[in-house]
Amino acid sequence: MKEQQKFPDNQPLGEIDLIIHAPARLTILMILYVVESLDYVFLKNQTGLSWGNLATHLGKLEAAGYVKVQKGYQGKKPQSKIQLTPQGRSAFQEYKNTIQQLLDDLPE
Amino acid sequence: MTAPTSLKDLERKIFRASTQDGIIDIHIGCLLLMFSIAPLLSETMGDFWSSAVFLPFWGLVYLGLRALRKNHLQPRIGQIEFGAYRVKRLKHLNLVILVFNLAALGLGLLAFIGILNLPGWLPLSILLLIGFSLGGYMIENPRFYLYGVFSALTPFVGEYLYQNHGFSHHGWPVVFGVLAGGIILWGLFLMLRVIQTYPLTDQAGLE
Repeated sequence: MKEQQKFPDNQPLGEIDLIIHAPARLTILMILYVVESLDYVFLKNQTGLSWGNLATHLGKLEAAGYVKVQKGYQGKKPQSKIQLTPQGRSAFQEYKNTIQQLLDDLPE
Repeated sequence: MTAPTSLKDLERKIFRASTQDGIIDIHIGCLLLMFSIAPLLSETMGDFWSSAVFLPFWGLVYLGLRALRKNHLQPRIGQIEFGAYRVKRLKHLNLVILVFNLAALGLGLLAFIGILNLPGWLPLSILLLIGFSLGGYMIENPRFYLYGVFSALTPFVGEYLYQNHGFSHHGWPVVFGVLAGGIILWGLFLMLRVIQTYPLTDQAGLE
């Protein structure tokens, strides 16, 4: 089944971006939000994801335009640089604000 | 290790993870070795050359550790560029190191011309404590505070051993040898832990 991008509008979580909401992708975006850029190895070590999972989730984030992967070389070794795009940064901030608002409004 | 509770905590945790390879510890240990070995060399080489001889040694250590980091540690830890906040903080560290070095030079000159009437070991203790503490604060690494306390105590302990147990050269060869050896061993432990924790893996065509 193809993943929905958002919860139905009549749900409390209707405004939540599901591309970001998945735990693995949220972890990736949180890490990318606080640094300038990093490579696959560092991201894998920090997230604890397998190579396969990391590739899948990065692919989704890249397809959504939230993450940019620049392929390059350091000497003869491949060296990719993963960065949050401005679109990804604002989407993450929006997600953060929405979640914060939603939880702040919960009755005691 | 506790889980980060905010984005700021997360950034700090990531920064610490990138500086936990033991390289800086081994480097500091090798710098401190001078205080242990130079007093022994000064009898045959004189005060200046017994210290100056360490410059090529430090150069070799620097090049060796750089190669080690590039070829064996970075492929396991990965590479990272930090954001504006961290870059600014590290630039402040450079400024702090400069001010600290100038203060050390000034204090050394005052002690040399006899204006400061302090026990010989006290200025060095103060400088080591302040230097390590500032470094620890700027790179947010608590073990440097510990290094600062141990380093500050070292000349005092050396003086005690010299006066009460007849250790040569104010006890420096022994006490600084133990301190430098301990820091180098801790650095090696951290390095081995990185090598053990993060084995080289095939990136399965990701690159």
